[in-house]
Amino acid sequence: MVQTHHCEDHETVGEDKEKRPKFFINDHVDILIEILKRLDGRSLCVAASVCRLWCTIARNDSLWENLCFRHVSPPPSSVRSVVLALGGYKRLYTGCVRPVRSRLGRVRRASWAGDEVQLSLSLFCVDYYERLGGSNSNGR
Amino acid sequence: MVLYDSATLGGSCSGSSSSSSSSKPPPLQQRQQTQQDIDGLLAGAGYRVRSSELRKVAQRLERLETAMVNSPADLSQLASDTIHYNPSDLASWVDSLLSEFTQPPTCPSEFIMDPETNQTVVSDAWTTAEPHMPQVHQNISYEQQSLNNQLTVDNQLTVVTAMEEDSGIRLVHMLMTCAECVQRGDFSLATSCLEDMQGLLTRVNTVCGIGKVAGHFIDALSRRIFQGIGGGSINGGSAYENEILYHHFYEACPYLKFAHFTANQAILEAFDGHDCVHVVDFNLMHGLQWPALIQALALRPGGPPLLRLTGIGPPSPDGRDSLREIGLRLAELARSVNVRFAFRGVAASRLEDVKPWMLQVNPKESVAVNSIMQLHRLLGSDLNRNSPIETVLSWIRSLNPKIMTVVEQEANHNQPGFLDRFTEALHYYSTMFDSLEACTVQPNKALAEIYIQREIANVVSCEGSARVERHEPLSKWRTRLSGAGFRPLHLGSNAYKQASMLLTLFSAEGYSVEENDGCLTL
Repeated sequence: MVQTHHCEDHETVGEDKEKRPKFFINDHVDILIEILKRLDGRSLCVAASVCRLWCTIARNDSLWENLCFRHVSPPPSSVRSVVLALGGYKRLYTGCVRPVRSRLGRVRRASWAGDEVQLSLSLFCVDYYERLGGSNSNGR
Repeated sequence: MVLYDSATLGGSCSGSSSSSSSSKPPPLQQRQQTQQDIDGLLAGAGYRVRSSELRKVAQRLERLETAMVNSPADLSQLASDTIHYNPSDLASWVDSLLSEFTQPPTCPSEFIMDPETNQTVVSDAWTTAEPHMPQVHQNISYEQQSLNNQLTVDNQLTVVTAMEEDSGIRLVHMLMTCAECVQRGDFSLATSCLEDMQGLLTRVNTVCGIGKVAGHFIDALSRRIFQGIGGGSINGGSAYENEILYHHFYEACPYLKFAHFTANQAILEAFDGHDCVHVVDFNLMHGLQWPALIQALALRPGGPPLLRLTGIGPPSPDGRDSLREIGLRLAELARSVNVRFAFRGVAASRLEDVKPWMLQVNPKESVAVNSIMQLHRLLGSDLNRNSPIETVLSWIRSLNPKIMTVVEQEANHNQPGFLDRFTEALHYYSTMFDSLEACTVQPNKALAEIYIQREIANVVSCEGSARVERHEPLSKWRTRLSGAGFRPLHLGSNAYKQASMLLTLFSAEGYSVEENDGCLTL
């Protein structure tokens, strides 16, 4: 008896669903951004290949900024201008933060989280400097 | 006589335990009882070995078995010597056989006789002893059986490694002998030594380990013997080449990165609260140290100061102003991160030629002096004038810097005696090459090795003003610097943390950071 009731319930719910318009995530960009904000780096890159809208959103630097500073206390506002000048958050994440975190993750100590970011920033700067050198100087 | 006594003891052991216990000092444990039993039984079987030693004997028998299995061909030497070993004293018998195996072995065929003779000894002992056959005896016969059955032929690999280790050690000995000859002035003997070593080198693996290091030292020695102590072509490497080698050395191993980051941390902490800062770098090279400092200053709470950087470097030969190029790059970086920046280059081939007025230090600014492996070049003492190190240290002091960061190699390569120097260098650079092996394989490695090779050549084959790699240990630097009026400043825990993180990041196995009274050593 109970089972048939359930069937009926399901049917009615299904019918309700059929009546309501389908839910396209792409219509709700703010929700989409909230979801994408919580992804890890690799998933975010994969998400960028889903469709053009997702690609545009995933390229937005603020998502990557969130990824970089997820586990640490919010950095001072001056960091943003520096990072943007040195090449942007996506580059910072893929070039420095991810390798630093993955290699230091083996010996993770709680106190290191903030320092990891500092170190990543320094290495990012050195990397930018070396890139400058590659384009400017000759005979390398 | 001993056998007789043990036999009687064996006899008494077969009786009740109470009678045996009365003759032994209290307290008597159960284990000792069993051991005494076994001892007695062994003695009854004719073996002069105690049960406490049996474990060691068993282990050694195992080793003997592996050695015999792995050794090639000939063991006949053992057969001829078996007369001398009394197998009843098991422990020493096994030991003596083992020692035979550490030297190149001889033919195997006659060895088969050996366990047989052993067997006969055992059976003789049996007839006289009581029929209490301990398990120990059975174990021994099993061992001998297995020795007989498993006499397989060569395992060339073990022999080769034994020979190579052997050659490595011989190389080191010959290097020392050669160095001693050089010190004595006996160049003919040194030359023949060199030839021998070069012959030995062909038999040793020169791609890694002791072979490679030895190769470099042999080159350096031959340079010294045949080209004299003027240094020849090594120091004549152009500034451009040096920069490239230095860059590869920076990339290949963590030493320079560690130096840069630690020095930057110290400078950053010293500049805290100052708005007008000036850094003097004694060896600019590609300026790889400074981007990190610029970034750290950009992000410090309170905003970035006005940063002036004075870079000292050798003059560039072909009209390229390399110092200025580096300065421009750094300026562009600083501009991107909104740090007010000014650069000045000072071209000088030797540090002692630099005069303080060239640096144009403003009295209102805080100065930091940074020397990465430069000060040791000034230690050559020329009796005609004041020692250059004291001159330089005094003008540094006159600038009244807020902080002076010094990075040096922790080695003792400035002793007057050649042999001492040679020995120290051999030890130090072997460790360095080993550490280079531990780093990940990269194209940079080969050039990094050339960089180290040049240092070796300078330490070993140059003298007088040509020898610039005059490393001194930490204690000497400390005395020297305090003598010049500098107070030591302890590097904080931040620096230590950062150094540890850097090491973990560059996945360097075997490296460790140590804190030594305020200084960090890698």
